[in-house]
Amino acid sequence: MNKIHALIGEHLIQITSNNIEFATSIFSENEFLIPDNELQLPHLMIHIEKGYGVPFVDYHIKVTKEKGKIHFQRADYLIETDEEYKVATVYVYDQLALKHALTNLYSSYIVYHNWGLLIHSSCAIEDERAHIFAGQSGAGKSTAAKLSHPRMLLSDEATLVKITPNEITVFDSPFRSEIKSTGLIKSCSLASVQLLHQSLENNRVQINKSDGFLQLMDKIFYWAHDPSETKKVVKLLETLINKVPIYNLHFQKNNTFWELIS
Amino acid sequence: MDKYIRNEQYDVTTNFDNEWIILNTDKFTVTKINDIGGYCWTLLKQPQSVHTLTQAIKQEYEEVNESVEEDIHHFLSELLTLNLINYAS
Repeated sequence: MNKIHALIGEHLIQITSNNIEFATSIFSENEFLIPDNELQLPHLMIHIEKGYGVPFVDYHIKVTKEKGKIHFQRADYLIETDEEYKVATVYVYDQLALKHALTNLYSSYIVYHNWGLLIHSSCAIEDERAHIFAGQSGAGKSTAAKLSHPRMLLSDEATLVKITPNEITVFDSPFRSEIKSTGLIKSCSLASVQLLHQSLENNRVQINKSDGFLQLMDKIFYWAHDPSETKKVVKLLETLINKVPIYNLHFQKNNTFWELIS
Repeated sequence: MDKYIRNEQYDVTTNFDNEWIILNTDKFTVTKINDIGGYCWTLLKQPQSVHTLTQAIKQEYEEVNESVEEDIHHFLSELLTLNLINYAS
């Protein structure tokens, strides 16, 4: 049995596995792994086992809660965790299942502890301020991320957002699609959220808060299983919406849209 | 006259700049309502009829459409369909 620690957001995560190379394979270039630290207690302990289920079938997740345990079950993974998400075992089929299972587990953890949200989006930094790009599948999240080069990216698929009444902060996300973390910037204050629409002309218009809320609600990585958890998601998103402006961004497929943001 | 009350078992309400959003965590519906609808929603914590809501709106707002009673009737029908309110016993 091997043990290693990762730092995601502000959370120390202990990972154990008989196949530690596989278990830590989603943490790109080891940017999120840290030297063994026995002095600090981990926030979340995850044991990872390979050899569960079948290859990816669909995104359907069955959530069950009994005897102090919560189970998230998909064809290619199974998560068993205590109700506070402090100790979990993750059984997966392959690396895709591992990435999705850890996304599922960590997003549930940060909602349960009222820390923040994982938002289906990319995020780039300009002048020490973070800007999120969200949208439906195919709207251009990863395109906007690629076109933002050479700006630093905090995410290209799942943006990790800490939400407090005083500040909204984006942390470097290990839950990546194509563009790996450089590890150079760990966090940055969030300045704006763009809802993406590919277009022949660039145009950026702020939308009202209620529409922003409705648009972002279905872009949160969250699997409803408990009304009290859903209420936490709503309150966290409400805090974000009240602090950060939301825009509709119609953009050409080049980097000129940044002129509207900077 | 029928009276109605909020089904508070599942709903989560939030409001921004006089627009209200009601999330039903059981049916996974999200409903956006305007300021007057939000005022009615606040009152529906207690049993209300079309008549009591109409009177309350006329007292609260200076300018009210003549069709307010009909609007309230329609509004309550929608909320019933969405399982956001129940008949008050």
